[in-house]
Amino acid sequence: MSRLLAFCFLLLASVLAYLHIDSRPVWAPFLVAHSVEGIAGSELSRDLTEAGKSVKELKNIGLVKTAQPSLRMDWLPDTSAPSVHAASLIPLKNGAVRAFWFAGSREGAPDVVINTAVFDSQTSRWSSPTVVMDRVRAEKGLSRYIAKLGNPVPARMADGRLQLFFVTVSIGGWAGSSISSVISDDEGLTWGQPQRLISSPLTNMSTLVKSPALSFADGRLGLPAYHEWIGRFGELLRIEESQVIDKRRMSAGRGAIQPVVFVDSAQNAGAFFRQTRSSSQVKQIPVSETKDSGQSWVTAKDLEIPNPNAALAALTLANGMKLMVLNNIEAGRYRLVMVMQEPHSQQWQVIQVLEDDASLVNGLHREFSYPFLISSNGEDAHLTYTWDRKKIRHVYFPAAWFQYAASSLKDKESQR
Amino acid sequence: MNPYLQTIALLEMSLTCAVVLIVLLQKLSSIEIPIFARLALVLLLGNLFFWPLGMSLELPLSAYVRGVTGDLSIVSMLLLWGSILPFAKKTPLGFKVPVALVAVLFYPLALGFGMFDPYAWGYGSIGFLISVILFATFCGLAPWTKGVWIFSIAMIAWAAHWHESANLWDYLLDPFLAIWALFATLSAIYIKRRDKAQSSYLFRAG
Repeated sequence: MSRLLAFCFLLLASVLAYLHIDSRPVWAPFLVAHSVEGIAGSELSRDLTEAGKSVKELKNIGLVKTAQPSLRMDWLPDTSAPSVHAASLIPLKNGAVRAFWFAGSREGAPDVVINTAVFDSQTSRWSSPTVVMDRVRAEKGLSRYIAKLGNPVPARMADGRLQLFFVTVSIGGWAGSSISSVISDDEGLTWGQPQRLISSPLTNMSTLVKSPALSFADGRLGLPAYHEWIGRFGELLRIEESQVIDKRRMSAGRGAIQPVVFVDSAQNAGAFFRQTRSSSQVKQIPVSETKDSGQSWVTAKDLEIPNPNAALAALTLANGMKLMVLNNIEAGRYRLVMVMQEPHSQQWQVIQVLEDDASLVNGLHREFSYPFLISSNGEDAHLTYTWDRKKIRHVYFPAAWFQYAASSLKDKESQR
Repeated sequence: MNPYLQTIALLEMSLTCAVVLIVLLQKLSSIEIPIFARLALVLLLGNLFFWPLGMSLELPLSAYVRGVTGDLSIVSMLLLWGSILPFAKKTPLGFKVPVALVAVLFYPLALGFGMFDPYAWGYGSIGFLISVILFATFCGLAPWTKGVWIFSIAMIAWAAHWHESANLWDYLLDPFLAIWALFATLSAIYIKRRDKAQSSYLFRAG
């Protein structure tokens, strides 16, 4: 009798579980932000915002012939913390840009907090920094011990709200990381309770985030994440609110983390990784590709640009031009460049050397790392990167600068 | 999302910590701890783990444990909680061996060995759900009726989004259950081999 009762209960559970599966959303195509075919050939905006008084201007020294539009460079606001790292950006609805970064006595210290500040593109000034998340707030919201905080990555939800994904560690080093998120209804002025994303079966350990999210056509987010404990590989997490509802492996083994994704169409995308291979293996950028909206990924031939085990940043402009910022050396992070690939081209070319300082300070090279790229209107670009762990550099590339860079490259090629 | 999700998780962890301590106490004790004493201890220790103790601790004790272990699977919790109840029977080897085998295959693949990730099945694979139902049915026919109840509750908890995870695997299996099943299986093999060796020694041909 008790067995019959148990089987009846199993039947009920099976029906409920089936209904639950039936209610799950199917995998959706990628949302393509800019149609390359539709915009290619159209003229890029030539509007240039007046440079602010506090902003340093830098002429391109590598490619300029005459009157190249200036880049605008400044620093994220100082928080007096000795160590800062992992800055990220998101455009706000009013045209401003909000930055997030972590700061503390050193990377991985318990006093590390996630800061935020807003860049007003009219005045070209940063607001005073405020703290979005600290360790104690995170552990109280998540109801579990948190030892330290890590990379913050913002995303825009389909309903317009801001979501900030951030890394937390309860035990061990970064290999013990998990991802959590907070949501803001007011463009980042206030934030809700943190929620934990569950993405790994081994006590949810070792999932991190570094790269910007992409959108699916059904409004859900795709978050490129990575593991770096037993395996070092990339994964695409499908996110609904603060919940992982599906995921797909983008690479395998121990050689590729921190994927950045270029979405080419609703079905096709390419992912480029920071290589973490053993010393005997080639130090180039690992690549994976999907032809089914990220449901399955296959590893492709490496992109033949050196990578010293350092993060990349990626961005596609509205005209289809692809950009990456990376350290194109095999060891160290003392050289940082922007590379560009024009639509329908396979070639990546350096269009700006941002940092190149091979000098040694206390026997070590300076570190220019963790770049993050966004565009506020599809034509310009904002870049942040860690400047020797002491400061965060912000560089603004106006639309006209890219137009000039592209035409300069064409001139150069025609002269060959 | 369930607004009481975090409170429920802490409550579960507090009970689990209390039960683990009682099981350890029972192992160390030479006399059987009576059921009412066990329940009183669960109540006492559970409260100790659940409520913030103040002092220099920012969180309840269970939150520190949860920070390290994450949420245990429903199967683990129910097996553990059930172990202190009166007339608790030993979990059959027919359950432990398949769990150990699945864990040995599952964890390396889920943690990055190759491009195939069985963990992704847990988000909504009908095939995976059918496999779980068949295994629960097998438990019932074994006959281990408790297993049917445990798997059914785990499936309902998953459908109701009882924990933070949306993945069915996290309601069925966790590393602690896997290690326990693995050790129990290896131990059973060792005992069987030892008994066989002893019996062949005793009854060997003259």
